[in-house]
Amino acid sequence: MNPPPIPRTPGLHFEPMPEGSQPTSILEALLKHPGRVIYELHQNRSGALSFWLLALGLAGMALYGVVVGTLAGGAQLWIAPAKMALGTLLAMLICLPSLYIFSCLDGIEARIRTVTGMLFAAVCLTALLLIGFAPVGWIFSQSTDSVALMGALHLLFWLIGVGFGLRLLGAAGRFFGNVGCRHLKIWNLIFVLVCLQMTTALRPIIGHAETFLPREKKFFVAHWLDTLKGVGNTNR
Amino acid sequence: MIALIKGLLRGDAEEIARWLTEFDARRTAHCALLILGGCGIYGATIGIWRAPLQAASTAAKFPLLIFLTCAGNAFLNGMLAQLLGSRLSFRQTSFAILMSFATAAIVLGALSPITFFVILNAPPLGSSRAIMGHSVTLLMHVGLIAYAGVIGNRRLFRLLERMSGSRDTARRVLVSWLAGNLLLGAQLAWVLRPFIGSPQIPVQFFRDEPLRGNFYEAVWNALTHLIS
Repeated sequence: MNPPPIPRTPGLHFEPMPEGSQPTSILEALLKHPGRVIYELHQNRSGALSFWLLALGLAGMALYGVVVGTLAGGAQLWIAPAKMALGTLLAMLICLPSLYIFSCLDGIEARIRTVTGMLFAAVCLTALLLIGFAPVGWIFSQSTDSVALMGALHLLFWLIGVGFGLRLLGAAGRFFGNVGCRHLKIWNLIFVLVCLQMTTALRPIIGHAETFLPREKKFFVAHWLDTLKGVGNTNR
Repeated sequence: MIALIKGLLRGDAEEIARWLTEFDARRTAHCALLILGGCGIYGATIGIWRAPLQAASTAAKFPLLIFLTCAGNAFLNGMLAQLLGSRLSFRQTSFAILMSFATAAIVLGALSPITFFVILNAPPLGSSRAIMGHSVTLLMHVGLIAYAGVIGNRRLFRLLERMSGSRDTARRVLVSWLAGNLLLGAQLAWVLRPFIGSPQIPVQFFRDEPLRGNFYEAVWNALTHLIS
């Protein structure tokens, strides 16, 4: 079955990736020519590309996790990257079924493999931007002992990164035939909330830990308020 | 089945209208299976906060609630459809309503990993923040079920508009169906309770004397209690 004709979306050019599915060309395409990534995901031969997008995304998250762990140091230098990568993977798995369904609700004509690839691309772009913020994060980590301050800073960087990632998702939605993507916007909010809760479920990522996972269950808002009050610095 | 799911989610009124006119028993069975699966999985996430047994109980009762509402109002909805000029037969009315519930069930089924994740992170029953946990999960379920319901009913409205040829007729028919389904559905939910469960009461499939009392009396008593 032939794919439908490629629509023209202002600001994005949907065309083949000339260099194929190599990691460096994928990263370059994500930043400079995201339309090429969307085009390749739409084609039948999108398996290798999806794999690299996932691998690069998780690796990028883990790399940024090293920066996050420098505030506490010690075991957090490997715990924080592990939790960042694991949390990202879990959040994607939890939200993938609803992404496919919400895409269908928006009238997006894409197979589940393509939708999965789109999500990997969004996360990979988020990770790329976080790596860009890594020097800034490291400098501030060396300047303070405050978990609350560093938490807010890392959160801000992540929100900026995920904003670009979800923008790519929206562009892919328009490529596949939907203009408004109303349900996709609601899914974006759900995904952000799930990721925010995941950071609390896997805490602490920034501060010191007595155990790998927390003993107490909390919603992320309650955890933030406790941290601001100076109660949530350690694993509770 | 995949084509049915995509068609229901896309909400293409022309395609769904064709399904209504070309009756297919297998498609009806698939809609029922979608309700069983989607609402069953979501129902499990409603009850899991109380106990695993409550999860199993709600997984069985949530689809049952929908089937009983559809069956209980089938004759009434069919009559209203014809009286109000929708040009739908009794069978077409039942299938249209079943499809709208199937659409909502697909959305709820897709959201169930998320609700399960939230429940997994909610403060447990015995903790100091149990009330907050209960409130958040209750609001979450109400919001998501309402959202899925709105999606299902929007598609039903577009279908009615296509079949009747009139926006006003479609609106009248949909409102009358909603009123009837809400009236019966609320009472059936009362009979089939509990769905979430209460920490103070042991887990039960039905409360003692499930047919005694009704939803509207309970709401009225709560209101008068609040005012007095």
